[in-house]
Amino acid sequence: MSYSDKVLDHYSNPRNVGSLDKSSSEVGTGLVGAPECGDVMKLQIKVNPQTNVIEDAKFKTFGCGSAIASSSLATEWVKGKTVDEALQIKNTEIVKELSLPPVKIHCSVLAEDAIRAAIHDWKKKQAPVDELARAEAR
Amino acid sequence: MSIQTSNSSGTTANGAPFRHLNGDGVRDYFAFFRLPRKLDLDLAQLEREFHQQSRKLHPDLFTQSSAEQQEWSMEQSSRLNDAYRTLRDPIRRTQYLLRLEGLELEEQSETATEQVRASGQAKKQIVPEDLLEEVFELNMQWEELRMNKKTGDSDPALVRELEGQKVSLEQKQEALLEELKSYWVEWDALGDTSPLEARNRVTAKMADLLNRRSYIRNLVRDVNAALEN
Repeated sequence: MSYSDKVLDHYSNPRNVGSLDKSSSEVGTGLVGAPECGDVMKLQIKVNPQTNVIEDAKFKTFGCGSAIASSSLATEWVKGKTVDEALQIKNTEIVKELSLPPVKIHCSVLAEDAIRAAIHDWKKKQAPVDELARAEAR
Repeated sequence: MSIQTSNSSGTTANGAPFRHLNGDGVRDYFAFFRLPRKLDLDLAQLEREFHQQSRKLHPDLFTQSSAEQQEWSMEQSSRLNDAYRTLRDPIRRTQYLLRLEGLELEEQSETATEQVRASGQAKKQIVPEDLLEEVFELNMQWEELRMNKKTGDSDPALVRELEGQKVSLEQKQEALLEELKSYWVEWDALGDTSPLEARNRVTAKMADLLNRRSYIRNLVRDVNAALEN
């Protein structure tokens, strides 16, 4: 299988590789994985508490080129967006941007899941525990 | 779907030995061996049944038959082999049963992601968080090992650690198989008349376990590769 140019670009030149301080209240961490291929993806966001804008994003992915490219692109896209805007990102947009073939669609799903998991983690840190429980019960 | 074929196949005896196998392409592998859909299989019985059927279906027996019959014998033989290979293996057998029960082991469910996108809830991950943490940490170490190798550094302590991990991962894989067997017993105790929720509860547990196991299997493969290179 051949990768698209954009996948190759992100793969050989991944943006925003690294990590942020997991314990910071401004940082949300998403760790997701796909059992079948063994991929594991960590995506972190740093959110401005006043504006809810994602000011920084980092990732580290162990997996195939498409998984790395999807998460690299995801960090590029979330940066500068508010948390709510970032939640609008769809995996299909990643598929389109990277021209992922059908067998690699799950990589884009993983990247969207990572964004959501990171935001969820950040939200958990913001809301007092009981408030979150109520939100989840709703 | 039914598993009534287990007792409707009395025609094997003589004259038309395979008629009961013919024409029905959708019969599942369990029915193929006249077995109920149970997981704790008697492997010796499975093997006997396999040999018996192989002998009857072997294409060599059909060299004098019509082209149609020859083709049928080829198809049935290959299906028999698939069925045997699937049922003989504990993991593949379980996966197969789950599929029959309508449960697909998804890679990364797009549908589930679409649902949480609409609802704003957190998506339930297939793999438990602590296992993911472990996988991530192991990958970090392996990356370090690969980097060391590239620069010509050798780090005996790191290699020793990897060897230790290999052992512990293999043990984990063994333990998962034992856990799976305990679910087999639960499943086999249920009958066709058991409530759907009870059946679904057990199949969900098995699916969850197989997903965890896939991860461990990949890790064992990767740690072996890291040690060999």
